[in-house]
Amino acid sequence: MRADFLDRHSRLDSPIHRLPAGVKLIAAVTLATAAVAIPRSQALWLAVLSAPPLIVAAVSRVPWKFLAGRMLLLEPLVIAMAALLLLQPDGGRAFLFLLARTSLCLFTMILLAGTTPFDDLLQVLRKLRVPALLVTTLALMYRYLFVLIDESQRMKRARMSRTFVNRRTRSWRVSATIIGLLFLRASERAERIYDAMCARGWR
Amino acid sequence: MTAALEVRDLRFRYADGAEALRGVSFSVAGGESVGLIGPNGAGKSTLLLHLNGILPESHDGLGAVRVEGVPLAPDNLPDVRRRVGLLFQDANDQLFCPTVFEDVAFGPRQLGLDDAEVSLRVAEALAQAGLTGLERRAPHHLSGGEKRRACLAGVLACRPSVLVLDEPTASLDPRGRRELKELLRRIPLTKLIATHDLELVVELCSRVIVLDAGRIVAEGATRELLCDEELMLRHGLERPHILRHAHPH
Repeated sequence: MRADFLDRHSRLDSPIHRLPAGVKLIAAVTLATAAVAIPRSQALWLAVLSAPPLIVAAVSRVPWKFLAGRMLLLEPLVIAMAALLLLQPDGGRAFLFLLARTSLCLFTMILLAGTTPFDDLLQVLRKLRVPALLVTTLALMYRYLFVLIDESQRMKRARMSRTFVNRRTRSWRVSATIIGLLFLRASERAERIYDAMCARGWR
Repeated sequence: MTAALEVRDLRFRYADGAEALRGVSFSVAGGESVGLIGPNGAGKSTLLLHLNGILPESHDGLGAVRVEGVPLAPDNLPDVRRRVGLLFQDANDQLFCPTVFEDVAFGPRQLGLDDAEVSLRVAEALAQAGLTGLERRAPHHLSGGEKRRACLAGVLACRPSVLVLDEPTASLDPRGRRELKELLRRIPLTKLIATHDLELVVELCSRVIVLDAGRIVAEGATRELLCDEELMLRHGLERPHILRHAHPH
């Protein structure tokens, strides 16, 4: 796994990348709020709202392929949620509207992550007086996600290099063990990190 | 003269009953560099965690450790943690912020310094660690040697008077090791270095302490002690190569 899979392309150079992170964050949240606020009878407005993110995406030079890939990755969740609407009478239009609306929000946020380094976003959240504990938690998550992924990959490789038979039930059992072990290691690491924080004055 | 670090009859038992330290006493004078060696599981890391009060968690018996003459107590821990800079074994545990700048700034910020002073300290610590220019880098994009030096910068930014290092050269390539060694040599602080890297001990420390099974089993001048082949082997160590052909004085 590439270590920058969360905010890849966020350090490119373009007029969009050079904008202050706060401006981008506020613009993205405003756009998402507007998209959510539009009533179903005004569906055309959604098309109007989708113009700015598309223009921004073009100017930012973040590859379309990357944006589309991210959308495909997350869209199944959106579809699964929206599909519940299909059970209602006349749910088809509601389904499409919800799908369009959610996709627009999703695209905006993917674009935000693709044009703004995560640590800049954290700085903005801190300045906006988002509770410090929440910002710290997000920062730690961002930092250790990679460590955790690396660790699970090393364990997976170690398992594969000693796996000689391919029997599914056994491999499930081994996977369960690995997940348990990963959890254990993560909690031990969390303790060591807390010690390291205390050693530099965390209270 | 009061010792920079003084430990008197330190005992510690983990919650699972394992006895890690069975009455450890030693002292380190100001400006001295001391090596702490011993086999795996001897209690080296556990001992180091006591030197700034991270252990024992219950705070019972903190007073067994004195820093510059003052016994540790719950109310002086913040001050002690600033004065005793601890470098952890796994750099990933210690670099917990999204960027190098943020990480090095963590300690100074905890001290309540203003932004200008924080930036000044970070710049100074990064220059000392030879990392100027990497401020914006994420820790997972650093090499092993850079990670280790970033950890050290984070500790130096708190301006400690004593450096306590846990396996500083572990898993570094020869260049990373050499750079770190030169860096440590240039830092004029009192140092206690726990390590298996006996050549590092020979080059940096005038005195060594051998710890085994939670007890100090030997203590003395580096060259003399490390040349005692029988003692070294008995405690899972060996006479380092650079002393193989040299005569002990």
